[in-house]
Amino acid sequence: MNVHAMNTQSQSPDDGIRAGDLLMDVRNVSLRFGGVNAITDISFNVRKGEIRAIIGPNGAGKTSMLNVINGFYTPQEGTIMFRGKERRGMKPHHAVRQGIARTFQNVALFKGMSTLDNIMTGRSVFMKRNLLWQMLWHGPALTEEIEHREKVEEIIDFLEIQHIRSTLVGKLPYGLQKRVELGRALAMEPSLLLLDEPMAGMNLEEKEDMSRFILDVNRQRGTTIALIEHDMGVVMDLSDRVVVLDYGKKIADGVPDAVKSNPQVIDAYLGVEH
Amino acid sequence: MLYRTAGQFKTSYHADHALFPVRQDAWLLGVILVCAFVVIPAVASEFAINALLIPVLIYALAALGLNILTGYAGQLSLGTGAFMGVGAYACYKIITIFPDLNLVVAIALSGFFSAAVGVAFGLPSLRIKGFYLAIATLAAQFFLVWLFEKWSWLYNYNASGAIQVANVDMFGITVAGPNAAPVTQYYFVLGVVAVVTWFAINITRGRIGRVWKSVRDMDIAAELVGIDLMKAKLSAFAVSSYIVGIAGALFVFLWRGAAEPNLFDIPLSFRVLFIAIIGGLGSIMGNYLGAILIVALPVMLGTLPGAFGLTIASATVEHLNVMIIGALIIFFLIVEPHGLARLWAIIREKLIMWPFPH
Repeated sequence: MNVHAMNTQSQSPDDGIRAGDLLMDVRNVSLRFGGVNAITDISFNVRKGEIRAIIGPNGAGKTSMLNVINGFYTPQEGTIMFRGKERRGMKPHHAVRQGIARTFQNVALFKGMSTLDNIMTGRSVFMKRNLLWQMLWHGPALTEEIEHREKVEEIIDFLEIQHIRSTLVGKLPYGLQKRVELGRALAMEPSLLLLDEPMAGMNLEEKEDMSRFILDVNRQRGTTIALIEHDMGVVMDLSDRVVVLDYGKKIADGVPDAVKSNPQVIDAYLGVEH
Repeated sequence: MLYRTAGQFKTSYHADHALFPVRQDAWLLGVILVCAFVVIPAVASEFAINALLIPVLIYALAALGLNILTGYAGQLSLGTGAFMGVGAYACYKIITIFPDLNLVVAIALSGFFSAAVGVAFGLPSLRIKGFYLAIATLAAQFFLVWLFEKWSWLYNYNASGAIQVANVDMFGITVAGPNAAPVTQYYFVLGVVAVVTWFAINITRGRIGRVWKSVRDMDIAAELVGIDLMKAKLSAFAVSSYIVGIAGALFVFLWRGAAEPNLFDIPLSFRVLFIAIIGGLGSIMGNYLGAILIVALPVMLGTLPGAFGLTIASATVEHLNVMIIGALIIFFLIVEPHGLARLWAIIREKLIMWPFPH
């Protein structure tokens, strides 16, 4: 059933932005829930083709930041420029259409569906045949289904999950569920992939596998990645640039080595007397 | 042995996307269809057709409609009976206004009315979920039944307040009304039900089916993979109510022959919901199994004492019936809470392994 080895370049979404140019620019974003300042005046950018890590202690506002980026929360202040355009009043399903996909901290798969169906759901945005064609099944709807099935099989091959293709994801072990979730996000062919703790709760071997997949996605598919992760070893090895948040504020931004030796970052992680 | 899948390889996605990847399933369906279309009409008595077969098919169709909404899209609804009523009254009015219209066309059109009403009462689903949504759909139940009673235009200003099906001819054959032959009606219902079921299978296994299931399993994640929740939920309400409406039209035109407003009251909604739950939510076949259990079994149990030569007062038979069916429902729900369809799936899995379970 395997399809031929994928053409590595064809997968890279062509959006007219060259590698290294700004893909997303977050400008002075603040997010409040009542009296709680989840995010205060944060600015940072993501360049095309890089792996950008967002780190910080618990409750620093990392996940809120991702939720702002993909339109789940609307910030009270600040703007987000994506592909050079400002985004306003965005709903999450619009973010996907613009090329932002994400995975979740707690696995958010469709438990009653097979691995294949889960990843196929990620292709829904690209599938156009309406109810009438779907009713007939044979003809255009089936052609479209198989066309997308081929793309999905490429992802299944890429993530090495062929053996669980038709298993209900609710029955899969945690590490594989995380992988299926990555597959579903990849199926959306994002130009920016947001990963919320892709390695949380994994053992060393699973972490190594997942790191390899993240690097492969970045290099072979040219997907820009922004990830949240607590494992500092992983973060420092994988990412090109790191932004550090603490209590909703940005305290450092730069290449891993610079961030690692930043005294404010060390204080935030080790704690300091106030 | 019978169900061995060894040696059945798929060499294309086309083959893998077939309705029955396992050959034996296709044969089984073939046998059932031959029975339904050829054997049963030849063998069954008029009583069996009228009291067993036609209602089973119609209830299964209504449950199928509800299952699309509740089992596939995860939106609980208690308004099924009222939506069936909308289909029935719409069909009645269409036939009144265009007496020469083909009945199939009239029934197909009446589905659009119930779909529109279903979407209107589905709007709360954008805000509320679960049991609260069920209560909101209950409003449809009360409002629509009240409307059927009060809006006399709907029943052509009859003194009785009920709708009465006149004889309807199709290609020179009477298909509905007092003069219609049960076998004709059976074939009519079977044809409609088979076609709608085939459409429903196709929708649920394609893109739209996946979209519905994703909304059911985790609506937040569905939104974040680019699914428009509003569209997904309302399309489920539309398709579901369309099918339920058709079932309602068949219910009155091909089976009951007449209907009063209170026929479409809550007990009907619950009956259809029970069929869907006991048959298995999220399954197409389950609706048929559920309908057989809930609709056909009481009738068959009722004829049993007579068959054994026992004379039991009909009231007693009725009571026994209720008790036995109630016990069976509890039994099946304890044995398999996911319904008869899951029970069959487990049996089938075992059969594939049998007789070498390792």
